[in-house]
Amino acid sequence: MTSPSTKPERVRLASGRKDLRELIQTCEAVRERKFNPFFLDVALAVETLRRYFPFWDSLDDHCLDAQTINDLAEVLNLQKSQLRYQSSALYTAPEVLEKKLRALSVKRLGEIFLKSWHPTVEREQLTVEGIREGLRYWDQMISFEERRKRLHLGRAAPPTPTDLDSLVKSGIMTREDFAKNLSRLWEQLRTLTGEDGSVEYWSFVRRGTYEETVQRAYYVSFLLTYGFAKMIRESTGMRLVGLDTPTGKVAEGAVSYPIAIPRASEPQVAQETLM
Amino acid sequence: MQESSDEKRFYSDKLKHAIHMLLFKRGKMPGAKEWELKASIGKNYKQVISQLDALLSDFDLQVKKVEPEHHQNRHLEEQLETTDDARYFVTLRGTLAPKEARLSGWRIDNLAALTVAIAYIVTKQGKAPREEVEKLLAEKVGRWKTLTLLDAFTRNGYLKEDEAGSLSLGWRTLSEVNLRDLMTLLAETGR
Repeated sequence: MTSPSTKPERVRLASGRKDLRELIQTCEAVRERKFNPFFLDVALAVETLRRYFPFWDSLDDHCLDAQTINDLAEVLNLQKSQLRYQSSALYTAPEVLEKKLRALSVKRLGEIFLKSWHPTVEREQLTVEGIREGLRYWDQMISFEERRKRLHLGRAAPPTPTDLDSLVKSGIMTREDFAKNLSRLWEQLRTLTGEDGSVEYWSFVRRGTYEETVQRAYYVSFLLTYGFAKMIRESTGMRLVGLDTPTGKVAEGAVSYPIAIPRASEPQVAQETLM
Repeated sequence: MQESSDEKRFYSDKLKHAIHMLLFKRGKMPGAKEWELKASIGKNYKQVISQLDALLSDFDLQVKKVEPEHHQNRHLEEQLETTDDARYFVTLRGTLAPKEARLSGWRIDNLAALTVAIAYIVTKQGKAPREEVEKLLAEKVGRWKTLTLLDAFTRNGYLKEDEAGSLSLGWRTLSEVNLRDLMTLLAETGR
């Protein structure tokens, strides 16, 4: 049974450890430039350390204390660097610069870079060792015919020229840009969403041919993965919601959710998406 | 007289050797380390480099010294001390005109993306989370191209990525880009 006198001390120890861990996490975020170094009130942090120091009794507690001090020292160092940087000629307020970078055209940005860029002059050449290595590789390489024989592919067909139609047909290239296709589908989704702001998954994805359906499902998986849309799973099916303000990045904690795309007489094809 | 001619000849050989070391790429990075120059040219390598720099100026080129990363955060007085692991490069003394940009192998829109990435990292004091840079760049060049370009910049030494996913300036940016000029030009533009 715990005596009444030790209980508050335990509580204090637990809350002290929690506070120190939070401090360490904040210091880490500052080191990774997620926060401004002055976001952390170092004086308050030192006061916190001082408050809990008399209660530490184990080696782990003292190690935690030491790590916090070490991390705070790094934050102080970053604060010093920030002050030095702000007083230097390189300093521009981050918010102002960000606005400017967004507003300036690609051409103007390129021109600005060219005015401050002094590219390195270098010459690549073959060295004797490089030639030797190339020769060794060439000597050890089995001929193309030999390698084909091992795969039992039979005699190779002679090479023939190809054109865009053949490449499109074989699925290597598309006539339209991938990004454009995504944007078009996103627009469609936002237009089609009904009064409740959503559309039934299969009615959106399914098209006349199986190939078209698979292609749409493939693009939808990108819309979901990069936060352009979200999926709601219901007992009766799945619904898609087009988002007006996409996050443009993979959502934290997203899970992969396989969706089978059935067709009447052939095996099912699974397509995975991140939700 | 003979002595003076000998001295000239002595420097001429060393100059040739120094320019060979600086221009011909032997490993992954161009240029030569300070200790390599010292070992190969001799203790007066700094005079040789200085003379070479003067000669190269006629061709709009210069010899540039880049301190290793762990020295870049030191005080100026400390930086003035000699460090054997500094690297010397030959770079363009002037700059390229927009018409000549293609000579570098980079398209103007890719250079614009590099400007955005470098400037953003500089405002974050040399280190920024990759996602933040990606987000800003995606607005300029699109999401898919952003990913490819950031990888290309990292591969070419313009940017550096650490295990925590933060981007910082790579050796090539530090040796090729005049950050002060870049930031001043950006600050002045649009005023």
